[in-house]
Amino acid sequence: MKDILQLARAHIVTAIRERVTLFWFLIFPVFLLTVLTLIFGQVNQEPTIHFEISLVNEDIASGTDSFSALVESILVQMSMPQPNAETPLFTLHRALHGGSPSFLEAELTALRRGDRAAILVIPEGFHQDILASFAGGGAGLALRLYMSEASITSETAASILEQTLAGINREILVRGGMYDDTESIEAETVWVGQAEDQELPYIDFVLPAIVLMGFFTNGLFGVTGTILFNRDRKVLQRYWVTPVNVPRYLAGFALGHLALCALQFGLLFSLGKFVFGATIGFGDPLTLFLLLLSAVTFMAFGFFISAVSKTANAGMAIANILNMPMMFLSGMFFPIAGLPAFMLAIVYANPVSYLLEGLRRSVGVQAGTLMPAQLTILVPLGWILVSAVVASRKLRWDVER
Amino acid sequence: MKTLRALLTTEIRNFTRDWAMLFFTLLFPLIFILLFGFLMGGMGDIRQASVGLHVDSDAISAEQLTDLVSASGVRAIQMYDDEAQLQTAIADRVVDLGLQWNGERLRAFYDASRLQENFAFQQLAGGIATDFDLARQQAIAPIQVERIHAGDVEIRSWFHLVLPGIMAFSMLSAGLFAVSGHLTQMKERSVLDRLLVTPMRPTALLSAIAAIRLIIVFISTLITLFVGVLVFDMRFEVNWLRYAVFVLCSTFGTMGLGTVIALLVKRPSSAGNVANAIAMVMMFMAGVYFPVEFMPQFLRTISRAMPLTHMADVMRHVTGVLEMSSLRFWLTCLTFAVAGMALFPLLARYVVKPSRR
Repeated sequence: MKDILQLARAHIVTAIRERVTLFWFLIFPVFLLTVLTLIFGQVNQEPTIHFEISLVNEDIASGTDSFSALVESILVQMSMPQPNAETPLFTLHRALHGGSPSFLEAELTALRRGDRAAILVIPEGFHQDILASFAGGGAGLALRLYMSEASITSETAASILEQTLAGINREILVRGGMYDDTESIEAETVWVGQAEDQELPYIDFVLPAIVLMGFFTNGLFGVTGTILFNRDRKVLQRYWVTPVNVPRYLAGFALGHLALCALQFGLLFSLGKFVFGATIGFGDPLTLFLLLLSAVTFMAFGFFISAVSKTANAGMAIANILNMPMMFLSGMFFPIAGLPAFMLAIVYANPVSYLLEGLRRSVGVQAGTLMPAQLTILVPLGWILVSAVVASRKLRWDVER
Repeated sequence: MKTLRALLTTEIRNFTRDWAMLFFTLLFPLIFILLFGFLMGGMGDIRQASVGLHVDSDAISAEQLTDLVSASGVRAIQMYDDEAQLQTAIADRVVDLGLQWNGERLRAFYDASRLQENFAFQQLAGGIATDFDLARQQAIAPIQVERIHAGDVEIRSWFHLVLPGIMAFSMLSAGLFAVSGHLTQMKERSVLDRLLVTPMRPTALLSAIAAIRLIIVFISTLITLFVGVLVFDMRFEVNWLRYAVFVLCSTFGTMGLGTVIALLVKRPSSAGNVANAIAMVMMFMAGVYFPVEFMPQFLRTISRAMPLTHMADVMRHVTGVLEMSSLRFWLTCLTFAVAGMALFPLLARYVVKPSRR
């Protein structure tokens, strides 16, 4: 037992001393969790957004009591510093006297270059046309909202401007007696799959994925790299002249590997919980079992790759080839429901898909989508079995003589 | 000249015989394109969304709501008899979002776990709710808004911007690994030591490596672009002159960055690992997969300092997806070209310097 523990210790110490290992197993998952949470955890939170918007009022001749002036004044008001907010939602760029064609042209160029999020143009005759529409019951002349489909900022700014204009529309209709505010419909949002009926925090969604990604890269690169490089550099050969045999070496290696996974999990969970405020827990027995199953499955997968690779460099190349497709075709970061059949076949063969779904289900952030609950355990077990059989038959523990 | 020709031939042979290098330079970007093309192709596109509806048959305006949902441009509408069925369909992803109308209250149902897509679904449901609210009272919005896309090329999805980003990333990787992978390996295997005892000048070797890399990277970006166009039916307005200038300058510049890495690490074999780590960090920070605009201010500042951010932007520009001033384009190209040229003598010294053991 002592030799197994010493081997486990040696594996952990080597991994921690190796800077590359440290980067991929600890620093990179922490970096990714931080970046993804900072990016997607704040999307749609208006106080963090600030846009550069332009307004071109071609209907300035209609005067200060016109609908054109009303739209302009509301936008100007929104661009002023608000009492409760640090910065206004947007900065408004406008020409002092309406707007010349050259001003619009310059603003359009700025929009295409990403220096403006949107441009709202109030066309000439806008006020008169709205008045005419009241009399005739039809729609008025449309405001032109220039935006860039190439920019998410522009898309968001355009949506916010449309919402603002919908509010102005309602106000105009109420004042004109064409809309009864007391008869307006009651709108409500329901989040399916959430016990508290609230939108799922992004950190709760991404944390199980990053934990799994960490285990996956640990198995894929850590196991393959350690076994094959140690074999090719004849480190393993030195073990075989001691009383250590392959099963004991494997036991020590597996113990060390699982300890590394536990260390990685502890770090990621602490970061998620205490820094980013994750609300999910991993203490449930099923969740703990799935975490263990994940670590063992990916370790076995690492042995599988080691078994089918002739050299360490070939093993690392295979790991590199499989890494991205297996990670992205599991639903870790992007939805996979709409994929074509040939890609869905990879999703269904991929052990990461099952473990991810099982883990997300067990922590309560996802209802069943792809497969029955039993398969989230049975398929990874199948992968462990296949990997073990292949490794026991094909993996060479010493360099060829 | 004869030496250079011989070295060029050797480099071509080396490259074509190394299946791993061939795969990572030519095929790996294609795997990325196919993967992300299918993953991102329909993300957030409401034209591909399906809506589940549960409407009380005796509720006033039920027909109006159904008509409005039909007119919103969604792919499919599925009717449900009760709320439980609707919720199950959403949880099982049979439909993307649900709407329930009982004559007084309009409820929108979303799958809480579809965080990446819910923003688009909420926009869709919000628009339907606003129109429905007005339609029930026979009111017509006096102010109409017409959205006009200001760019020259129609952008169908975020993937239209991702594809040039992936091309930029493959250029960065190829440039970085030309020095930090290929040259350091030659050094470690003492191939350089053997070459240096011949009359060959280090600059001739470097020129041969750089020339072959530039040609292969250029071909690789072309293949990636054409596969994107063919498989995903995308349209790009490529400015071929600028495209060629940019691919050559930026690949040359990233070779310079690879030189810096090779000079800083203790062991030649570590250079590839460091380059790999740097490339991965840049990939997530440079707006290749996620828009830079989504990032908090301090991350945006870091992102702007990364070469890949500028490479992705310029690649989008030369493929006609993003407009950019000529000044910025030429300045970026010049910066990469100068970085490559300035670091070339350092690289030559690195080649002749005995390796640290």
